Amino acid sequence: MSTKVLEIKDVTVSFDGFKAINNLNFSMDEGELRVIIGPNGAGKTTFLDVISGKTKPTEGAAYFKGQDLRKYKEHEISRLGIGRKFQTPRVYLNLTPRENLDLSCNRNKNVFPTLFKAPPPAEKRTVGGLLETIGLDHKADIPAALLSHGEKQWLEIGMLVAQSPDLLLVDEPVAGLTDEETEQTGKLLLSLAESHSIVVIEHDMEFVRQIARQVTVLHQGSVLFEGTMDQVQNDPKVIEVYLGKETSLTPEQMLLLRIAATMAWADDNFANVQQEVILDRLSRKFAHSPDDQASLRDDLKNLLAKEIPLEELVPQLATPAQKEEALMLSYEVISANQINQTEAVAYQKLLSLLDLPPATVSRLEAAALEELAARG
Amino acid sequence: MATDMAVQPRLAAKASQKRKLMIEVVAVIAIALVLIVIMPMLLSGFRLNLLGRFLALAIVALGIDLIWGFTGLLSLGHGIFFALGGYAFAMYLELNTLPDGQMPEFFSLYGVTELPLFWQPFNSFPFTLLAIFVIPAIVAGLLGYLVFRNRIRGVYFSILTQAALVVFFNLFNGQQKLINGTNGLKTSTSVFLGQEVGTPAMRMVFYITTVIALVAMYALCRWLTSGRFGRMLVAIRDDENRVRFSGYDPTAFKVLVFAVSGAIAGIAGALYTVQSGIISPQVMDIAFSIEMVIWVAVGGRATLVGAVLGAVLVNMARSLLSERFPDVWLFFQGALFLIVVTTLPDGIIGWGRRRFGPAISSALGLAPTDLPYLDDSAEAEAVVETPEFAEK
Repeated sequence: MSTKVLEIKDVTVSFDGFKAINNLNFSMDEGELRVIIGPNGAGKTTFLDVISGKTKPTEGAAYFKGQDLRKYKEHEISRLGIGRKFQTPRVYLNLTPRENLDLSCNRNKNVFPTLFKAPPPAEKRTVGGLLETIGLDHKADIPAALLSHGEKQWLEIGMLVAQSPDLLLVDEPVAGLTDEETEQTGKLLLSLAESHSIVVIEHDMEFVRQIARQVTVLHQGSVLFEGTMDQVQNDPKVIEVYLGKETSLTPEQMLLLRIAATMAWADDNFANVQQEVILDRLSRKFAHSPDDQASLRDDLKNLLAKEIPLEELVPQLATPAQKEEALMLSYEVISANQINQTEAVAYQKLLSLLDLPPATVSRLEAAALEELAARG
Repeated sequence: MATDMAVQPRLAAKASQKRKLMIEVVAVIAIALVLIVIMPMLLSGFRLNLLGRFLALAIVALGIDLIWGFTGLLSLGHGIFFALGGYAFAMYLELNTLPDGQMPEFFSLYGVTELPLFWQPFNSFPFTLLAIFVIPAIVAGLLGYLVFRNRIRGVYFSILTQAALVVFFNLFNGQQKLINGTNGLKTSTSVFLGQEVGTPAMRMVFYITTVIALVAMYALCRWLTSGRFGRMLVAIRDDENRVRFSGYDPTAFKVLVFAVSGAIAGIAGALYTVQSGIISPQVMDIAFSIEMVIWVAVGGRATLVGAVLGAVLVNMARSLLSERFPDVWLFFQGALFLIVVTTLPDGIIGWGRRRFGPAISSALGLAPTDLPYLDDSAEAEAVVETPEFAEK
């Protein structure tokens, strides 16, 4: 029987009536690496606060390996085996990386053992090994204030590991890092995941894709969706919530996009060309300045959904103009590479659902091909 | 192989550390000998007595450095602990001077006929010796526990310590019947070890005791601030929440350090009292406790040596200046503090290390020393964060 390393049951946290977390249920298995995403204000950090004891749940309870965490204070929770990394790197700036790690590594953290006992050689070796792992061995004895932002992030992750916790809570580990640093952080977390359970909160979708196995989406303080990265990216609720907050896309535009993406997915092979067509067309259609177009393209990338039944999507198209638009875009997408059997079937289905006059259809198909040809 | 390469410089660093410690021990002993043997030959009795008082004040500065310089808790209430130590010793002296069963004279002025209960234990010298540092430690520990447990930090902590100081001042000042109120207790005509406290021979004894106590307290503080415990104090100063989430309970550490700091202040108070001849509620004046902080700031926070140096230098400057220009001292003190804060944020020692540190280190063949405060902005942030105390 696999034990749940973490279980959150019906937790609500309210601050003066505002529910930062609303009846949240969550659980994860021993050894899992779980990524938590969600728009700003979804309650991600409060979620970590509840686990690490910084905030007590107003209702409900959090359990770590079956132990009710409400009874414990922050430092006691940490001693149970939960380590937490903060959003901004928090290390002791006036101490060296070695000293930073040494303090976390200390096995007995009561006052008097800390005062009277010299660090045993085993702990010194652990610290030495960790310094190498996080790539700070050559800067081990300079004050941490002199480290770069990325190095501080790693030092803090190192400090977590030094505590030898069973569960790591990592809040936005790659915020403000360069691409290269981000990738290295991802590798570091993946290697840590071999021997720890890890919860990662992250905004950077590229990074999430690098490390994620299971993803939980939070929205307005509750779990909105849980699944693999692919499932998450294609879930309409997630897309709506996640992007509704962050882009200027209207629901109609959203709908168009989903229909086009569904067409492209019809043959289970979303070719790059097709993706380009969608991204290019939509970003030009809905944004005017080149900057806006670029940012919209990035957003759209995250939402090229698949496997949403056309029967659900099409009836939502309100006006004939929208229907025409959807048809034209879809035709363009499937024509971008060779039309195959399944795509043809899907297209026929779309046509019947749209129920447009045949004359209009052929006019639009011609226009779509022209558009494609014009782009070359 | 990689480990071998890593071990080499670490061994060298260790050897260098050992050498540093040896040099420090030799230097401290040398300075102590100069103070004990040579200073009495150079200075008149009056000046030597002054120096002795300043050295007693240097002891309380060490306590302030421990709690403020290292742990980042600005206490404006150390006058309490200083006074408690001073009163403890003075009460013993009052009783010791009189034949058994008689009561200090001032009691009769207020019609008190029976020695108050809390005076009784001060008939015993061993009890008094303990009380000088144990009572301040307990009071500091208790106050600290109440304050730190509720996560009161930063400015709020400073204000609370000052408020406590005012409470204690009023308590001592108002209790004529118990401890002679505002008049305080005189010790110069008391008898200690069969001699009058004010005689030159006794003064010499107290002077030497002060030097020894200063060395002992310096050693204690050095021990506390080196090693894991000391790094823990710096960690609490840098980021207390991080400490908490790393599995330490900062409250316990802070209570202990505050209690030790209070105990040190108590010892300073006792030694100061016998050398100045009186203890009165005046030592719980708000300004006096702030001055203690100024000495440490002038000398350099988190350096220990700076605390001692700052206390002695500022007080020497005060006595020289106020002898010649009695009116300007306060202005001068204000100016001194402003200058230090604006131009020498690390105090005299910090400035000296920056300026001459590398030269001295290389002359002695040592690894360079790091400065105690690298990033003041971090501390500023920590103070801004303080309203957290309402959280619980």
